[in-house]
Amino acid sequence: MTKEKINKTALILFLFIAFTIPLFVRSATYLHILILLYFYAYLTTSWNLVGGFAGVLPLGHSVFVGIGAYTSTILSLQYGISPWIGMIAGAFIALILGVIIALPTLKMRGAYFALATIAFGEGIRVMVENINNIGPLNINGPRGIQIPPTNTGFFNFMFAGKEPYYYIILIMLILVLTLTFLISRSKLGYYLNAGGEEPEAAMALGINVAKARLTAMAISSFLTALAGTFYAQFTLYIHPKSVFSLDLSFEIAFIALIGGRGSVAGPIIGALLLRPVSDLSRIYFGSHLPGLHLIIFGAVLILVMLYQPRGLQEPLSRIYNRIIEKKILKTDK
Amino acid sequence: MIYLIEDIINGILMGSIYGLTALGLTVIFGVLKVINFAHGSLLMVGMYVAYWIITATGIHPYIALFIAAPIMFFFGYYLQDIIIKPIFKAEKNVREPITVIIVTTGLWYILDNLTLLIFGPQYRSIQDNALKGAMLEIGEIFISVPKLCGAITAVITALAIYLFFQKTKTGRAVRATSIDRETASLMGINQYKIYNIAFGIGTAAAGIAAVTLVPFYNIFPTVGVLFDIKGFIIVVLGGLGSILGAMLGGIIIGLIESVGPQFMSSTWTEAIVYGLFLLVLFIKPSGLFGIKQDW
Repeated sequence: MTKEKINKTALILFLFIAFTIPLFVRSATYLHILILLYFYAYLTTSWNLVGGFAGVLPLGHSVFVGIGAYTSTILSLQYGISPWIGMIAGAFIALILGVIIALPTLKMRGAYFALATIAFGEGIRVMVENINNIGPLNINGPRGIQIPPTNTGFFNFMFAGKEPYYYIILIMLILVLTLTFLISRSKLGYYLNAGGEEPEAAMALGINVAKARLTAMAISSFLTALAGTFYAQFTLYIHPKSVFSLDLSFEIAFIALIGGRGSVAGPIIGALLLRPVSDLSRIYFGSHLPGLHLIIFGAVLILVMLYQPRGLQEPLSRIYNRIIEKKILKTDK
Repeated sequence: MIYLIEDIINGILMGSIYGLTALGLTVIFGVLKVINFAHGSLLMVGMYVAYWIITATGIHPYIALFIAAPIMFFFGYYLQDIIIKPIFKAEKNVREPITVIIVTTGLWYILDNLTLLIFGPQYRSIQDNALKGAMLEIGEIFISVPKLCGAITAVITALAIYLFFQKTKTGRAVRATSIDRETASLMGINQYKIYNIAFGIGTAAAGIAAVTLVPFYNIFPTVGVLFDIKGFIIVVLGGLGSILGAMLGGIIIGLIESVGPQFMSSTWTEAIVYGLFLLVLFIKPSGLFGIKQDW
């Protein structure tokens, strides 16, 4: 057995488990937790294109989630357009906004970029919270928008059970992972990496760092907005304080940083570790120990930054490789 | 017209207090070259410290200042020493370590939620203090006494920090480290101890700001977030690392917030603040007045 073969088998096994889970897990609560886990893994993977590969720290990505959620919801409630079409429309609006944000900010150094993205995010949240209508579009300001669960069906992106949502977000996650894998091995990925590590040196080699980052930001905002539509259709209620919130932006960044920014597996590892902590502590301790999961997040984040600044994917993949090498040695003998 | 004058005066007073809340941020940035994302949370901790001192002993809020500020200094000193210093040591050659920003964000989450866990989400305020609701009447203009006291304290604190950096030996060591850490440590300055001191001074400034706020402001676990983001905006408007800039930036925000509602709904003033911030960030990242580090 070669290493590649083992890797492939493990991947197929992983996919097989992921696709068959709803056959065993009948509890709606646990399916809900898994769906949110994939949702966060998806968001973090999209974030990682900018925050990980490009080496800057965006802290306002919830804006794109919000744009995706609001665009598809308004289009479907007021004009009867299928959320699937709204999803694409929202993604393109987010892409344009992402480019507008990126053009002036991407040249900034570390902290300035983080602050600028926070200000963008919060500024847009404040506006959405205070606007009732943009022309004919009803945004509903601070009250948020409720989606009446009347017309279920694939065209309406609305289902009675949780299983369809599970498969939709799983497929979305697999697609976005494949995409980041391909990007990380493309010219763009190498440009981003070089620009993230040593911007001056990369530029001296003739790499257009700003252009590479702009492309990454455009792709990232596009992908993030797609998940926004999914979130709106899954929870059937969107509110500026949930989809545009600073907390959501920070949670995405936390998962990526703990899992390992700039690696394909990092977001998955981060989400696998942190989401259950968050959900389970909310279920079991939510009433008498509020905010416990956020204390754990903060502590884990600090410990990871102190001892594994490249994230938990590094030691985990080292262990994984060692086990495989031992296996190969054994079979060779 | 009289209302406009009253709003302008109140805006300047509240703005000076905003400047005081951002003062620590600018001092810490000046020396450590990182933006302390936990600054609002330190302010929140300071507010709880002040609250408990005042309610437990019943002393005048401004006497509590002399107990709260030293407590906050040591809190900041050891926070930097235990949690942030190891990262500086690990990333010695990085000029502006992004990891430190991330760690202070982690601190923010821990401090806010630990407070929520221990003291609960309810709003607290100090009911029977000498300053609550006190008003100064000059002709037809009403001025809030606690805000006036806060503004005076802000100016005194800013001057005191400036003089400390200019006139004392430790202050000179801090300035030397801020200008060039390598050369400073070659001159026999222990740069990590200077970081601790700078962080302590920044936290003590947040503590002083907290004491000026508690007589008229509600205290709750997430109160820091409001001042956190406001603080970022203030220091960027005024020029990161500048003491005068922090005070001026604070006054600008205070004026927009108090005069703005005369012309538009008060929520829009918030959007204007963010807009102004982004504009300055894009066009003149060195701040509105282009003040460099001035201490």
